[in-house]
Order: sequence, then C-alpha cells, then structure tokens
Amino acid sequence: MGNQASPAPRSTIGSVRRFYFLEYFYVLLKSIERYPDTEQAFELFKILKRKHRLGESKYKTKLETEELSPHQINRYRYTFSEVIEESVEYGLACLVDQSTLCITDVGINLLKQYEEGDITGFNRFLFHRMEHRYKAFRFLLELFYAKNSKIPGLLIFPNYSPRQLKYQRSSFTTTIDVISYSHSLIDAISDDILKYLGVRWDLHEHNENIISRLKESHLLPDRDDEYFFPKSYNAIIKRFRDYWQAYFLKEIYGYEFSLSSFERWLFRGKQIGILYATDFYPSFSGRIVYPTAIVIDHTTSPDFELVYNEYDDGRKLYIHTPRWEVIQDKFVDALVESYFDLRRSNHSYFINLLSLREIVCYKLKIPEFMFQSFLDKAYKLNLTGHLNIKISLEVDKLPEETSAIYLTREPVMIDGKHRNIIAIDVDREGK
Amino acid sequence: MSRLIGKPKNQIDLSVLSKYARFYLSENPFPAHPYVNQESTDKRTNGFVYEMEIRKNEYDRIKDNFLQAPQVDANHPRLGYIVDTSYVGRGNGKSAFLLNLQQNINRAYCIDISNEINKCFAVYVSPRPSGQTKSFYNVVDLIFQAIIRTNVIDDTLAILRYDALSRISPEALSRIEDEDEDSIVSKLSTEEWFKDNSVDYADVAHQIKENESIKKLDPDFPLNIETAWIGSRIATKNDFHEYYERLRPQERLNFLFTEMIYFFTAAGFNGAYVLVDDFERIPNFQTARQKTDFATELRSALFDGFTLNAITGFFNIILVLHAGVHRLISEAWAESGMGNRSPIELTTEAYHVIPFEKLTQGHALLLLKKYLSEYRTVPEYSDSLIPFTERAIYRIGELSEYNAARMLKMAHDLLERISVIAEQEMIDEAFVEASRDKLALDSNRAIPEIGEVASEDLIKKAQAGEW
Repeated sequence: MGNQASPAPRSTIGSVRRFYFLEYFYVLLKSIERYPDTEQAFELFKILKRKHRLGESKYKTKLETEELSPHQINRYRYTFSEVIEESVEYGLACLVDQSTLCITDVGINLLKQYEEGDITGFNRFLFHRMEHRYKAFRFLLELFYAKNSKIPGLLIFPNYSPRQLKYQRSSFTTTIDVISYSHSLIDAISDDILKYLGVRWDLHEHNENIISRLKESHLLPDRDDEYFFPKSYNAIIKRFRDYWQAYFLKEIYGYEFSLSSFERWLFRGKQIGILYATDFYPSFSGRIVYPTAIVIDHTTSPDFELVYNEYDDGRKLYIHTPRWEVIQDKFVDALVESYFDLRRSNHSYFINLLSLREIVCYKLKIPEFMFQSFLDKAYKLNLTGHLNIKISLEVDKLPEETSAIYLTREPVMIDGKHRNIIAIDVDREGK
Repeated sequence: MSRLIGKPKNQIDLSVLSKYARFYLSENPFPAHPYVNQESTDKRTNGFVYEMEIRKNEYDRIKDNFLQAPQVDANHPRLGYIVDTSYVGRGNGKSAFLLNLQQNINRAYCIDISNEINKCFAVYVSPRPSGQTKSFYNVVDLIFQAIIRTNVIDDTLAILRYDALSRISPEALSRIEDEDEDSIVSKLSTEEWFKDNSVDYADVAHQIKENESIKKLDPDFPLNIETAWIGSRIATKNDFHEYYERLRPQERLNFLFTEMIYFFTAAGFNGAYVLVDDFERIPNFQTARQKTDFATELRSALFDGFTLNAITGFFNIILVLHAGVHRLISEAWAESGMGNRSPIELTTEAYHVIPFEKLTQGHALLLLKKYLSEYRTVPEYSDSLIPFTERAIYRIGELSEYNAARMLKMAHDLLERISVIAEQEMIDEAFVEASRDKLALDSNRAIPEIGEVASEDLIKKAQAGEW
C-alpha cells in the first residue's frame, strides 16, 4: 500500500503549528471565552497552561511557583499565537480585530465536550479538522507500513549513550575517545537496522560527517589526543543523537520534512490513538514508533472504528479499538506474559508498570489510554475475585529510575490513583 | 566390560580442589545462588555466614525497643515493622538478618541481651508464596510450625522437669547438673533416664502439675498425657504437633495464643518474638476485604481479643515490609483500627518502626571480607581481601546497586573467572570492568526483543474481518 501515491498536500505537513498537546485548544478556547481581549486572554492562557501542566514538564509532581522569565513569556506568547492561528484555521475561534478574539459556536461546543469529560470526542474532533487540512496522519500511516517490511509498521530510532556502550565517563576525555564511541555507535545502530528492518546500511561515511561537523563547531579539538572541554560532553552526545534521528527519518524512512514536525505529528497522533511512540521500550535502546490505526479501503472487523472517510480516493482511516468483552482474555494473557518476562530480570514481585505498559501496548497495538482503561477493568475484576490472576498495584517508583525518566512518561491512573509498580500472581487453584 | 580395568570416559578433576589455593581460599566463599534458605546445610546460603556489624543500626534499634523492653509491662510494643527503605529489591539481606536475630535471641533466650529482664524465644516465619498464606489462621499455622522447628518446646519441657526434679529428687539432678545444656535437655526427654536414676516419672509429672500456670491448662492439653489415668507417658514435641493438627482453625488460634502461653510461662518465659519475613506475600494476594479482615484479626490477637495473648502481649510480632507494601496495607490498617494501635508510617519518633537501610561502600567491604575469612586457608590472611582490591569491591557495589545478594553473586562469578586465568593475580577495578559483559548484569537480558514479540498485525486483522 505504500507504493500508492499519497493524496496529501505535502507542502503543508511540515508546517504544522508548533505545539504538541491537543489540550492547548481547550486552554485557548477557555481563555477567549472568558476574555475576548487578547492580552487578558493571554494572562488566563498562561495560568491554565500551568494548571494543565502543558509543556516539557507535564508530569512534574510539583508546579513551579517562581516568576516567569522574559524568555519564558516570549515562548508562551509564541505558543499562544500558534494555537490561535490553528484554532482560527479550524473555525473554533475568530479574530475580530488586532486585539480582540472571539469564540465560534463550533468552539463553544468543543469546549463543552471537553468540560463534560468527553476527551476522546474532543480529540477525535480535532483530529478530523487536522486531517481535513493536512492529511498528515494518512501520510504517516502509509509511510510506516511501507518502510518496514520485516515488522509491519514499526519504525526504530536507535540511540546509545557512551555509558551503554561501556565507555566510562571518567576516561572519556579526548577526541579519539569520541571517535571510538562513534564507531561503536554505528556498529550498534547497524545491528539494529539489520535486526528490525531487515536491511544493511553503511553508516561510515555519515559518521565521518558528524565528526568533521563537531570539529568545525569547535566542540571537538582537531588533534586526536587533545582533551575536549568537559562541559561539552552533553552537547557532543546530543549531536550524535539528533544527527542519527534525522538521518533515520530522512534517509531511511524518506520523511522529507523537519524532524520537529515529525515529532509534533507523532505526539498529536499518540493522544488521538493513531500512533504510538516510546523512548522506553524495555529491550530497545532509543525510540520506537508504530501505528495503532490503518488506512484501508474497507473493513467490517468490529475491532476497528472508522474515524475519517473523506479521502478523495475513497480509502478510510480506522483506529484500532478492540472492545473489552472481546479482548479481555487476550489482554490478561499479554499482561501476565509480559509481567513474567520483566520479572525474570528483576527478582522482585513488583515491576515497573510503565515498562509493562510498553510491552502490552506493542503486543496488542493499542494506545496508552486504552491500556489504562483495560487495566482498570482487569484490576476491578481482580478485586471482586472474578479474574484468575491477582493484581496488586502500587504507587512507589523503582530505584533504578531517575526522576528525569519518571517525569517524561505518562503515568497510569487506576482506581483514581497514579500507579507505578505492579505485581501479578497466577492463581493456581483457579476460580 | 571389566569392572577391574574399565574406566569411565570422564574422571573427576582433582586439580579443581586447588583452584582457589593461590588466593589462600579453600573454596569459593561466595554463594552461586545467593538466596537465604534456612534449611540449607551450606553456610554460604543458610544465613550462617553473617556480619552483624553491617546491620548494627537495625539490630540496636530492635534491641533497645523490643528485646530490652520489659515484657511484664503490658504497654510494651507488641507489633513492630522492619521497613526496607533501600528500594534495591530482593536480596538486601533482610532474611539473613532475621535468621541471625533469631539465633541471637535463642542462644540464651534473650536473658543475656535483655540483662535478665526478659526470657523470650524467637521464631522465623516466612509466608508461603503465590497467595497460599492469605488468612490470619494461615499465619497462626506458620507460627506454630516455626515453634515446632525450633527447640523451644523440648527446652520448655526440660525446664519444667528440671524444676520438678529439684524439688523431689535433687540427688538425681546433681548427677547431670554439670553437663552442657543440650545434653541435659536430651536426657530429660526420655523416660529411660528417669528409670536409670530410680525416679518414677509419674512423680515428676505430678510435681509439674503443681505449677500455677500448668493448672490452668485445658484437660486436653498435650502435656496432660503425662498424668492421664490410662496410658500415661512422657510428653514430647511430637505430641504437641499431632494435637495441633487435629484442631480446627479457631481452636488453633486459642491453643497458640492462650494455652501455649500458660505452658511457656510455667517455664519462666515471659515473651516471644515472631519475625515475619516477606510479609508482602500476604497482602499481595488479598482482596481489600481480606486485608481488612486480616488486620482486624491481627489486632484482636495482639491487643484486644479474648486470648491470653491480648492481655499479656506475650507474642511480639515483627513484620518485614518491602518498600512498596506499606501503602498496600495502610488502608486496611486504618479501617481495622490497627493504624492507631501500631501505625505503620515511618517517622522518627515511631520506635516500633525500624528502617532497613541501603548498604554503603563500607558495608560492601565488610560483607565480602566476612565471606572470604570463612574460607581462608592461611590464618594470617583472615583479615585480607585477597584477591579483591578495595576499589574493585567498590565497583562491584556500584554495579550491583549495593544489593547484598547481587554483590555476592558477582563476587562469586568474578572469583570463578579469575581462578581459570593463571596470569591474572588480582581482581581489580579493571578486571571487574573487563568482566562486565560476562557477568549477569544486563537487566534487559531476559526481556524478549521487539522482533521476537508476537504483535498484532493490524492490516491482516482488518482484512481478516473481510472474509
């Protein structure tokens, strides 16, 4: 299916507005509904943005209370104007004049939908507008399925830090150390390409490219035995990561727009339930991305929900939405199997629930929010004794997780509480 | 085939015995599977090799707040918690600590530790895995089985007989007075000894019945077989076991928490410590209802039920909690009122809560040194780290997140590795680094790679719906 020409107006895919969270639409509409005046609306926008924890630190346990720096205010203002433009584009808001905004009837309905708790409906509506305008999700879905013939739909973006490749920070000091790391890195990446995509790529030439760029920008000294500035360590490692990520996207997968536009689509797709992306798959170093939706002529399978049928060629976009009654046994099996896979390496009853979620979502190709709702159901069945396994969920984090990792992952909320660790027991007596 | 000249294809390699000799070790001191098993005969894994110094803080807290707290004071702490605050998972040395605590207490029944304030015994209880221990009655069974495993019933019987003899036949007693205590116990456990020394055991048995506590015992109590009208004989631990097995759950609870307390107090005991390891195994498999019931029954047995134990606080229970368990049970604890009796929260003033800390560099050194010293062939080196360097041990500690079991396992593997590399003299930091790949470190090892995971193919699934 990937060979078919996509009808997407490609020039616009790369120009998606610069924000990730769909909740921004809610925050903006709420601000305008209250204050038509742009400046006043912006003040409320800032408050709501923090309240909903939108931005890079969404899962921080405490909200920062300090004053915003002028730089931050500029960034917020930029986001504000981006959300306004996109809302106007979708007919949710309108510009009365330079300093006055208004909310349309469509906008009011959408606001209501969110406030009544219909987040799925809210996201689906926005999806529809986005797809109508950009056709980006169809483009990405077809790209995904076309580019990996070995494992359908899976895209990988491998990344290994020097530490993972057994370089010690204390002895990682000179240009030659970095060069040696770069070689280990391309070996590891090539292995992954062969393993997961089933093809061979020669990365040496590009590796030379990174090294010479690092030297040009004076992050690395010219001579092999010279020490680089220790504070540049993180910058150097980040260059490698960014370079290879962009390389994968452009050269291997043929996505011709910017890396940042890809990330924005990915993140939006994840919230809608069309795409799945994670940097924390337990047995993979780097990021994996795969679809939880399909573009196809037609299906009558009850496990799919039609969400877009306005493409010119008559194809349709379906999201994978298996019903609990149907998937229950399969879900519990995947949960137990993955639990024991993780537990084997852990020597503890309790294992990281977020890692478990990664594996189960991948096995069943379901979005995170669906995992949460299924686990919630399974957990309640277990409490009433109607399940042949015993589940115990806890709040505590495991020791090996640094706070940084903790903050960037969507928590699992079960029975009204955030849960981080899980223990399962298979009841041998049966029920 | 000749049985005289036929040879097997493989001969035992006798040189193996000297594999560790160049490091002044008789064998590999570290366990290959570092999980404590109190039934094991190998001192590497049964908790026998133990450096109490590592857990001095924890031990002192238990000593001050439990072992030295006068049992006769009804307000002494009856329920305590050892809370693992280290988050390094299993193998942090909790079981080894408990088994040693049990040994320490039982060595002289706490008389030495408490400066003669208490005479208490200790039992180690480990709930059975996979939810087989769910109700409080299951725990009662485990406690009783643990009592059977120790010598405390034999010792109690011997104390009662010794006491009776001192009244009715001091001269018979004088013949064994100077023997060691184990031998006295074993002699006083058979009717033969009494016959040999011309003592009618029936007299002894009746003298024992004069004890005020013994008088309160139920007529069916196993000891009363000694004074039965028909078929009287000397009672043994086995009689207690068999009797217990015949009881119904509610009767068992009463037997343990009332009858047995009369029995033990007759012999001068004023308390007992029940050390419950791996407590998480219980609530892990309980429903919310079962948790609350459990907590209520525990409260009733310890504090305000109808048993003698609730009145005297004879049995002190110490629960060992894994880092996550606290929240698992706090709700049930609050609902059952246990939260007021013995709150589980770790606060500085809560003397009944003992934090079990993460190990440090210094502990890592002590731990490995202790194991090495147990297997030294040359006494002069008993305090040495050979073949490990100090820095290597620090590195081992870091790599295993200072988890005791993982450190021991890694030390075991490193020693195995170096023993076959003749030119390698020391296990230094570089050797640890170079061996990392070979050590079972990579936590992702057992997790299947994405390519191996059976994952739903959505396109196929959607198309299958068409047929």
